[in-house]
Amino acid sequence: MDFILLSAAKDLRRRMKDPTSLLLWVGIPLMIGSMMSLMSGGGSSVPRAKVLLVDQDDSFVSQLLAGAGSGSGGRGAPLDIEVVDLEEGRQRIDNGEASALLIVPEGFGEAVLEEQPTTLQLITNPAQTILPRIVEEGLEILVEGGFYVQRLFGDELKLISKGPDVGMSFFPSATIALMSTNINDRMRRLEDFLFPAVLILEEEEVLATEEAEEEPSLGLGIIMLPAMLLMSVLFIAQGMSEDIWKEKQQGTLRRACSSPRSLASFLGGKLAAGAVVVAGVSLVGIVVGCFAFDMSFLLAPVAILWCSLTGAALLSFFILIQTLGKTPKSGNVLTTLVLFPMMMLGGSFFPFEVMPAGMAHIGRWTPNGQALLQLKELLAGSFQPMPLLTAALCIGIPAGLTFFLTVRRVRGSFLGA
Amino acid sequence: MIEIQGLRKEYGDLVALDGIDCEMQAGEIFGLLGPNGAGKSTAIGCISGLLTPSGGSVRVLGHDVVHGGAAAREGLGIVPQELALYEDLSAHENLAYWGEAYGLDKGRLQSRVIEVLEQTGLADRDKEQVKNFSGGMKRRLNFACGIVHEPKVLLLDEPTVGVDPQSRVRLLDLVREQAQLGTCVLYTTHYMEEAQDLCDRLAVIDHGKVIALGTLTELRAMNGERDMLRLNGQFDPERVQAGLTQLNGAEIVSLDETTLILGMQAASKQLPALFSALAELGCDVRETTLSQPSLESLFIKLTGRELRE
Repeated sequence: MDFILLSAAKDLRRRMKDPTSLLLWVGIPLMIGSMMSLMSGGGSSVPRAKVLLVDQDDSFVSQLLAGAGSGSGGRGAPLDIEVVDLEEGRQRIDNGEASALLIVPEGFGEAVLEEQPTTLQLITNPAQTILPRIVEEGLEILVEGGFYVQRLFGDELKLISKGPDVGMSFFPSATIALMSTNINDRMRRLEDFLFPAVLILEEEEVLATEEAEEEPSLGLGIIMLPAMLLMSVLFIAQGMSEDIWKEKQQGTLRRACSSPRSLASFLGGKLAAGAVVVAGVSLVGIVVGCFAFDMSFLLAPVAILWCSLTGAALLSFFILIQTLGKTPKSGNVLTTLVLFPMMMLGGSFFPFEVMPAGMAHIGRWTPNGQALLQLKELLAGSFQPMPLLTAALCIGIPAGLTFFLTVRRVRGSFLGA
Repeated sequence: MIEIQGLRKEYGDLVALDGIDCEMQAGEIFGLLGPNGAGKSTAIGCISGLLTPSGGSVRVLGHDVVHGGAAAREGLGIVPQELALYEDLSAHENLAYWGEAYGLDKGRLQSRVIEVLEQTGLADRDKEQVKNFSGGMKRRLNFACGIVHEPKVLLLDEPTVGVDPQSRVRLLDLVREQAQLGTCVLYTTHYMEEAQDLCDRLAVIDHGKVIALGTLTELRAMNGERDMLRLNGQFDPERVQAGLTQLNGAEIVSLDETTLILGMQAASKQLPALFSALAELGCDVRETTLSQPSLESLFIKLTGRELRE
């Protein structure tokens, strides 16, 4: 054990002398995290678009539009609408302070009620990709909905928009009763079309003793960050596996083999060093992820530990592949040939959610696929010991086997003994 | 300290070591001489436990290197032919790592590292990365890594190859110091002068076999105290072979169309007769080298080739 730690410390010291590769490894998750944050506008796990509204009409209809856009309490639609004047709106969208600027022209309400053509102007932020699209889609739905509301309840809306007769503060009771009756009649006639009974609710008594836990919201971050972290771990494992060739070429592997310490502990030191490097890199990635995507800090230490153990297992696997090469170059080519299919199949390039079902099924049972699934759960704040243990065995058993084969191979044909 | 009995190492059909027997004592510098491919490095590999012998046995400090490997390696120091250093670490870090790897306890480690750095003249550069060192400095550090844990048996595989004269003198002094401290030193080299100056006993190895073993005096006696005469030019091997038999005391050690090597007693006195005999045989002699009885002449006599071939 002492020699494992001694060798790990030696390898870490050597890594520290090469800060470029360390920075690169730390930089990968940071860069990817920042890119994702920029793409989604950052903030919460459910990204929200900020829309600046210039209401030049200031009518009942334009106020309805603003209200419908933001939804009740801001939870219905992922839009935060802020009413501004035109000059401020243009300045702020130029500064990239919002996802879109919506200008409602004067006469908009009247045109809608009178079925006259009118134009809403939407200026989107070119620095963002996803959120402006959400605003556009949302606005199209609103316009479509507005058209049908006008066709159905145009007369009532015109009346409301016009307001009570001159000299009166309220509508007469008879007018209100007539409007209500008309709306009620039309809704009843359209009930079968508007609310078809596609689902039948069956009530069943559940003998639940525990309060149901709220499902964690799976935002963009929770899908992408673990995949990116696993990608970094794979890159680190492949990069560090090259060291076995350095050890051979600089003669230190031979010296280690002729020392009284076992080769297994010498190589074990390399895995331990790999685990520490991965822990450092995943610490950075996970902390950034927790801040950028409102992820839970609660299980972050377990997630970091999980990443580092996965890193050590993958490093063992890649070292074995390196030793199958005849030269450092062929060793690297072999590991690269394995690395990219592993990343693609294991959900690092494409999330399992978008993969064809068969491919996703295979990918989930690869070591890095198993690691990714558990990492997602941990980052989503869910700790399930049995699946975690199963995944640990799925990763650990092949890693142990590859380590055993690596020791045999290094002492045998790799060293030319 | 080292007992080798019937040591064999085969790589398929190739026999690298073919039944080597020898013993080395404490405080002795034992030289292993042989041309490239003779089996010197293979012998070192088997003694250090890096290679598994195909037959025979090697015992270091009483422990079999195959079955009691770790115990045998505890007291073994190795200075390999190729450098074995972490170039991205400093000299101090290299020594500390290998010292601990070879079981030097932490209390002794620091003082021993400083001691060895001073012995090898690297104390003033101890914090610098090894990749910035000159070739000679790297060789000295390579040596230092082999002795940092104060081994009882030291294996040196051509440690002075490519070393500048100043570093070579320093290294050879260090080897003598180790022997004076009671360390058993096994030294392989290409350089005859080194072997003559340094070694108490020598084994000449060729084609995996020990063809001569003894002290320098004993080996010289095997050569019959004869001079070695080397002639370069144009020769007809068949005519020379037949014609020179009549020349008194001349023994053909090696002969081909461009080189003739003769072992002769009092060769300088016989040169005129030799040149006229060669002229009569139609030979064209362009260069002549006469050397006194030496290890090299013995080697040429025993193997029929020069050590650097």
